[in-house]
Amino acid sequence: MHDLNQVASAALDALRQAGADKAQCTARFTETHEFNVDGGEFSLFRTLFDNSLSLTAIRAQKKGSVAINRFDDAAISEAAASCIAIADSGESDPAWDFAPEIANQSFTEGAPEAELDLLFDRTKELMDTIRERHPLILMEQMIVTHKKRRTVYRNSLGAAFETLSGAYEIDLMFSAHEGERSSSFFGSGVRTDRLDRPFIELGSIEEDLASVERQLDTKPLEGKFTGVAVFPPSSLGTFLGSILSNFAADTTILDGTSPWKDSLGKTVADSRITVSAAPLDERIVCGERFTADGFPSENYDIIKDGVLNSFMLSLYVSNKTGLPRAKNSSYSIVMKPGDTPYKDIIAGIERGILVGRFSGGEPGTSGDFSGVAKNSFLIENGKITCALSETMINGNLGELLKNVAAISQETVCDGADVLPYAAFGGVTVSGK
Amino acid sequence: MLQDIITPSRRLLPADAHTELRAQLNRSCRVTLLSGNLTANAKTETSGVSARVYKNGVYGFSSMAECSSDAVAAVLRAADENARFMDRRAGRGKGPLPAIPEGFRPLDADIANPDQKLFADVAREIDSYIAAKYKNLTSRAVIATADSMEKLLVTSDGQGGHTILPRSYIYVFLNAETTSGTPIELFEAFGGHGTFDLNFTDPSSMYAEIDALYEKLMQKREGVYADAGLKTCIMNGMLTGMLAHEAVGHTVEADLVLGGSVAAHCLGKTVASEKVSLVDYAHTAFGEDTPLPIYLDDEGTPATDAEIIRNGTLVGYMNSRETAERFGMQPTGNARAWMFSDEPLIRMRNTAILPGTDKLEDMIASVDDGYYLVNTNNGQADTTGEFMFGVSMGYEIKHGKLGRAILDTTISGVAFEMLKTVDMVSDTVTWASSGFCGKKQPMPVGMGGPELRCKIMIGGR
Repeated sequence: MHDLNQVASAALDALRQAGADKAQCTARFTETHEFNVDGGEFSLFRTLFDNSLSLTAIRAQKKGSVAINRFDDAAISEAAASCIAIADSGESDPAWDFAPEIANQSFTEGAPEAELDLLFDRTKELMDTIRERHPLILMEQMIVTHKKRRTVYRNSLGAAFETLSGAYEIDLMFSAHEGERSSSFFGSGVRTDRLDRPFIELGSIEEDLASVERQLDTKPLEGKFTGVAVFPPSSLGTFLGSILSNFAADTTILDGTSPWKDSLGKTVADSRITVSAAPLDERIVCGERFTADGFPSENYDIIKDGVLNSFMLSLYVSNKTGLPRAKNSSYSIVMKPGDTPYKDIIAGIERGILVGRFSGGEPGTSGDFSGVAKNSFLIENGKITCALSETMINGNLGELLKNVAAISQETVCDGADVLPYAAFGGVTVSGK
Repeated sequence: MLQDIITPSRRLLPADAHTELRAQLNRSCRVTLLSGNLTANAKTETSGVSARVYKNGVYGFSSMAECSSDAVAAVLRAADENARFMDRRAGRGKGPLPAIPEGFRPLDADIANPDQKLFADVAREIDSYIAAKYKNLTSRAVIATADSMEKLLVTSDGQGGHTILPRSYIYVFLNAETTSGTPIELFEAFGGHGTFDLNFTDPSSMYAEIDALYEKLMQKREGVYADAGLKTCIMNGMLTGMLAHEAVGHTVEADLVLGGSVAAHCLGKTVASEKVSLVDYAHTAFGEDTPLPIYLDDEGTPATDAEIIRNGTLVGYMNSRETAERFGMQPTGNARAWMFSDEPLIRMRNTAILPGTDKLEDMIASVDDGYYLVNTNNGQADTTGEFMFGVSMGYEIKHGKLGRAILDTTISGVAFEMLKTVDMVSDTVTWASSGFCGKKQPMPVGMGGPELRCKIMIGGR
């Protein structure tokens, strides 16, 4: 096995010798073990040994990046020369920079060593349990993985990080079938560092399987209404991702098209909404420990009590705009729960929709969204009634956050995010 | 170019199991200019070897990020161990795969990889043109990008080859606001199969199309929301290609058929109007190279066309060698892998609805009240065939004539129902190939088709 510290040091030296004013590199070794199930049957066992080395150079305030997957001296030397050539081809921009000196920080996270026999047993147990409890479910694909990652980051200003991490991931894609009738497909997944519980108990796997079984018989919605849309954690994550990437991330802040560009410190959402990027939250498995720019990752609030507390900016866009950089790369989203039990949220809705999955285009900076509500149910008089087909939902992402009907007490953690159920008013639901 | 460490290693392939051994090199370059700011200038190169071993109905696979004889021996050993593990714990007790004839497809020609500076220079030239000419844009982006897959393959059947698939594109994004302040965007992808230096010899040759894109954006500024409901629409070739790929193509990938797609129950049945035929082309279509020609897949199957719909009847699936045996069909070379560390999956190559005999102007003239849908910016579909496509550009059709532009909207439907409403098919095919298809792994694919007149749900606002 390669010594990643030596690889990283060699890469930094090569970049300096090639003429970099500032340089950074990340060397990583990943060992992956993966079981695949296709069409309900075990199909494949993969073992992967991957290297990656990314180099970034700044010369005369011009930046270049190269990524390779070889660690030998000749490849490193060639990549460093190429990196400088790429930087030279660019344009000078004083905003490019890396993190300043930070004493070497070392982290071990999760379960670095795979227990493969137990992983296979848990996978088989999940398949057997699904057959027993959810006989209508056909597993289109199940991918169960263990990844062990050893990573070393170094930059020429003195920032240094080492991490050793390991986690299991369970990803399921399935639909319900009876004769020639079938539901829409649905995906469910979790990340965990423990194999002490049956997989069906993790995340929302059991709930998702049961929900899809109830989607065999669907009805198209007749007509159109504007009402409350309830988003379970999985689809809430999709919507939150769209909102944050459109309104608070690098691209739209840099080009000035974000409707939130002048809203830092101002109210952008209902006061019940607090959304954090929290890779260090104890419920997050193998969260980020350092950013792509070389800063140690810290938890931060993006929206706190409805007020925009921080954009999700890289160091480059921070320097470019004068706005504060984000304290991590914003991959791990934690939303504060509310005070209403989920069943009471449903009971309080006269007419609405439970949106299991949204199939639509990525909304633009206007925030308008329009798409098909998949794996979704009609809510009438406080009860979830029928599963829906060919039903569209329309609304505006920015308005959603201001139009909160309720947020659940319950949250679901899938190892990557922690989210509640959330109900928003003002969503237009239309059928044939 | 990849050094051939694979062919000499053929003697190491296990004697008692079907085995594939592959070396692969992927390259990509990307330069992004966002409103004049160079926000990305990067190059990636990954290479390595992988082996896949088939034993009694299950596979073992292993890969290593190293192109050496030691790595070849290591991945063959690990793949064989993994296949034995799976056979022991979950074996299906199936026999060997049907053999394919021996052969080896040699490399047509190596490719030159242009200097990254060319990407930056071309992107800057185009960006400067847009910035100087069009002052009322709210933002703009120019992305110059290229990727290539080079593969060396041998199989225990004695089949193999050395292939390269390069492609390169420039994306131009133009953003403006409507008079009421709603942000609008249009984009165009230029380029296709081939390296960047050959595809973009003269950036100024793109200016006329960029001007046309700007004109469409200005029409869209004055656009109106489409009336929601079931409408008579003419979909242009971009949308037809999206339909062929997303809403039909995925449902007839045999692994998804086994996973319960709608096509499982439709073989031999009418799924479209008799004016509709659909083929997944390998390397040649309508007498020309396809957008992304594929000659050999990663299981060693020489690539041939996969006929899917013939005059409205579903006649076939896309297969791997394993699924072809299950369905009693012939494999046509659809098993493709994106990286050296990826196993072959059933993927589309160049999927298209075949042209008809109608003229576009006659089709427009035939619509009393409907829409001409010109551009799409995304598309999603279900294994039930239910689809949703974003429409980023289109026009009203009133009394047989094109009217006002429409603002962003969506169309949706169920493919095998909507295709039965097709009653006119134009005589011209438009291809697209710039994106990636996502299915566990990304994959470059081509998609295309003629204009279709059909009934479809349009989403309005």
